[in-house]
Amino acid sequence: MSRISIKAVGSSGQGINSIGEVIAKGLKRSGYSVFGYREYPSLIKGGHAIYQIDVDSIPVRSAETKVDILITLNHHGFEHNLYDLKPGGIIIHDVDYWEFSKEDQRFIEKNKINIAYIPLDAMLKKLKARPILANVLLTSFVWDMLNQDIELLKALVREQYQHKGEDVVKKNLECVDEGCIYNDPKLGRVTVSLPNPNAKWNDHLLVTGSVAMGLGALHAGLRVYVGYPMTPSSPLLSYISSVQKDAGLVIKQAEDEITAAQMSSGAFHMGTRAMTATSGGGYDLMTETMSMNGMIENPMVCVLAQRPGPATGNPTWTAQGDLMLAINSSHGEFPRLVMSVSDPEDCFSLMPEAFNLAEEYQLPVIVLTDKHIAEALCTVEMFDQKKAEIRRGKLITDPKDLKKLKSTDRYDPSAKDGITPRWLPGSHAETFNAQADEHNGDGSIDESAEMAKLQMEKRMRKIETIKKNLPDTELYGAKNPDVLIVGWGSTKMTVMDVLEGLEVGKFRGLKIGYLHYTYLWPLKTELFERLAAKAKKVILVECNYQGQLGMLIKQQCGFDIQEKILKYDGRPFFYDELRELILQNLQTSKPLNLQTSS
Amino acid sequence: MKIPLSPQAQGGPAMPDYHHANQCTWCDGCGDYGIWTAIKRALVELNLHPWQVFLCFDVGCHGNGSDKLQGYRFHGLHGRVIPFAAGAKLANMEVPVVAFGGDGASFSEGIGHLVHGIRSNYPMTFILHNNENYGLTTGQASSLTWQGQPMNSSPFGIPERTIASMDFIFSLQPTFVARAFSGNIKQLTEVFKAAIEHQKHGFAFVDVLQACPTYNHFATHEYLLEKCYDVTTEGHDVRDFGQARKIATDTTERIATGLLYQNTNIPNFYERLEPRKGIMTTPVQEVAKRDVSGFMKELV
Repeated sequence: MSRISIKAVGSSGQGINSIGEVIAKGLKRSGYSVFGYREYPSLIKGGHAIYQIDVDSIPVRSAETKVDILITLNHHGFEHNLYDLKPGGIIIHDVDYWEFSKEDQRFIEKNKINIAYIPLDAMLKKLKARPILANVLLTSFVWDMLNQDIELLKALVREQYQHKGEDVVKKNLECVDEGCIYNDPKLGRVTVSLPNPNAKWNDHLLVTGSVAMGLGALHAGLRVYVGYPMTPSSPLLSYISSVQKDAGLVIKQAEDEITAAQMSSGAFHMGTRAMTATSGGGYDLMTETMSMNGMIENPMVCVLAQRPGPATGNPTWTAQGDLMLAINSSHGEFPRLVMSVSDPEDCFSLMPEAFNLAEEYQLPVIVLTDKHIAEALCTVEMFDQKKAEIRRGKLITDPKDLKKLKSTDRYDPSAKDGITPRWLPGSHAETFNAQADEHNGDGSIDESAEMAKLQMEKRMRKIETIKKNLPDTELYGAKNPDVLIVGWGSTKMTVMDVLEGLEVGKFRGLKIGYLHYTYLWPLKTELFERLAAKAKKVILVECNYQGQLGMLIKQQCGFDIQEKILKYDGRPFFYDELRELILQNLQTSKPLNLQTSS
Repeated sequence: MKIPLSPQAQGGPAMPDYHHANQCTWCDGCGDYGIWTAIKRALVELNLHPWQVFLCFDVGCHGNGSDKLQGYRFHGLHGRVIPFAAGAKLANMEVPVVAFGGDGASFSEGIGHLVHGIRSNYPMTFILHNNENYGLTTGQASSLTWQGQPMNSSPFGIPERTIASMDFIFSLQPTFVARAFSGNIKQLTEVFKAAIEHQKHGFAFVDVLQACPTYNHFATHEYLLEKCYDVTTEGHDVRDFGQARKIATDTTERIATGLLYQNTNIPNFYERLEPRKGIMTTPVQEVAKRDVSGFMKELV
């Protein structure tokens, strides 16, 4: 792999995201696959934030721990990120008062680190430019260092700022010129060579998982979105809100998550496609509604964007610790469907499925995501709009069919697949009661032992129906793997990059395969069992402490995965880190638990 | 208006259309009977068939009435009826949506929803079954129970002060406030009709004072019969916010009932949604696969 990594660090609010996003977009247009990764504290201003982009001509879906270029907007970058540099790496800074410790000096000399000073204040003064334009100077300086076309950058800057008027554009372009021609006099012009570009990336999208999910939901016919801000679900709320006018949506920022869950459920019950999204704490508040929808057999789509808990936890970091929550939340027993996105492709393609399955089986669908994929910037082909279809299950809307309905058809417990006709308030038909108390056919309260048993069995029969129809788990890499890696969610992106780097899934003659779980409940284990029985080694990779998918697999089929690569420090798996952990694991037979890494 | 008790020649609704075979299970003398009767009358008089309306019930004794009448109905969770009903209404503005909730659900468990329902001015009707206690759970004090009343779980009376519910409601700048007494079915019917018609303007709040003969031994049916008077007989101007708030709040001598306040000049929540302006269809009608090419182009 010949990837190049660039990391911009500074305080929150200093503009490192804009540096990262402009370089990312520019490089993608120059023919590169780009992956943008953010780390930031739960603060509006201050703290130490990071925007890293990893660039290659082959697909990149992960970040490395070591970088080629470090841009630091203050001295904290020297303190925290100096050792993130690869040998021969470059630091770009405007901190004129900094003195490195002896230890740092030794590191710099030993690793031939280049230090490029850029006098931002003086340059801004000369150009009579506002301080915020320091970001443009830095971006341009790096752009030239990467040997990239200045006109492409100018076009991008023009695009970015034209809504602010010609004067602003002009000033920005002056900064581009100045940044591109500048060289640190002590260092001279240093360059970093990128791999040869590939024009196929030019017209790819550059999207976060949240944007991809938003697009997927719109594609699926989303009409009503009710949310309450909570990181890392907020970027989805923000994206959907940003297109609300063009999409003609009903958007409501609710007073709390209970409201968000109830309002979206009411809208879905009425017959539109509605959704809500939240993170762990907000999801906890939604769980009573989840149970209610299980009982009244109402479709619901809820995005659960994970971050490390318990409690407020680490609000702006990532985790995969809410799998058990999604599956076991809410009182009582009722069928539900849990799925997880893992990369921008399925962020888009799973949303229509979430709505379809919610309507076909008339139950809550929980779509798991996490901070990593929610905020990571990915290079992805324009989403395929041919595949998705709108399936609404046993929804009756035809006037002739509506006439034939009896009130008692709604919750008729004799339905073989557990699924009964559903029709909408306002339809000219016999009416029923969407009843959250135990009930009989038309939704009248019925506490008899006989009906309680029949209705529980009716609802729970849906699980078997779903299991029959759900797509299987996905196997990547070797068809009959000696080493079977098992995982779910956004760790897939890093695993896939690692497999790619291990020569298409082969390592020292070992065939390596990755079994990915998109649908997590009801859990299918047939393929897993078949592969695990033949594999020499099964390795579980998850971003949580307990190995929750492993627990589920054991619960469902009895197979106890011994080898676990687990991470629970709020950071995702990094490319080089996971590669190393997998290689180590292949050389040892002991389970391996990772404490921290970054 | 003469209410049609038998099916109408023109196909309009009649009282039997709302009849459900399930028998009522409320206590003798419960105020729910009056409210149940009046809502059916109001819907019939508004010429609404059961299939044209959506009636949402909170949890409590009143909620046990959700299967004692026809109409599309919903009986959900305790305290949460307002947001569910609001979400339903926003999805289909053509269907009248009426939510019912008790004083426990609305002034304790789900008080936030009531606040934001009024603030948002959702185009819906909310009918408060106000019996000033938790009946179904055997008579605990609610935040509207008079202070000092011995109740189940508070034999020495509750230590908290009673919420001045009407003063609270008026502090939220409502667009429709009415109060009625469950014993006066004619008045209830008129108030319910006005409250349902107000949906085009926004959130209609109706406080129905009702007896709970089993657990409420202070504001009894007889007490309410004695104290309630109809403001329309005294020429009250429903546009006068200050006067409405005053007579609604002060119940020491008499209890003002009838339509107390209405403002039809404030847009409802849906009308304020910029993206929905000029769209004549409802979100329910709009579910279809959408081409997102335009949105994708901006992300290249």
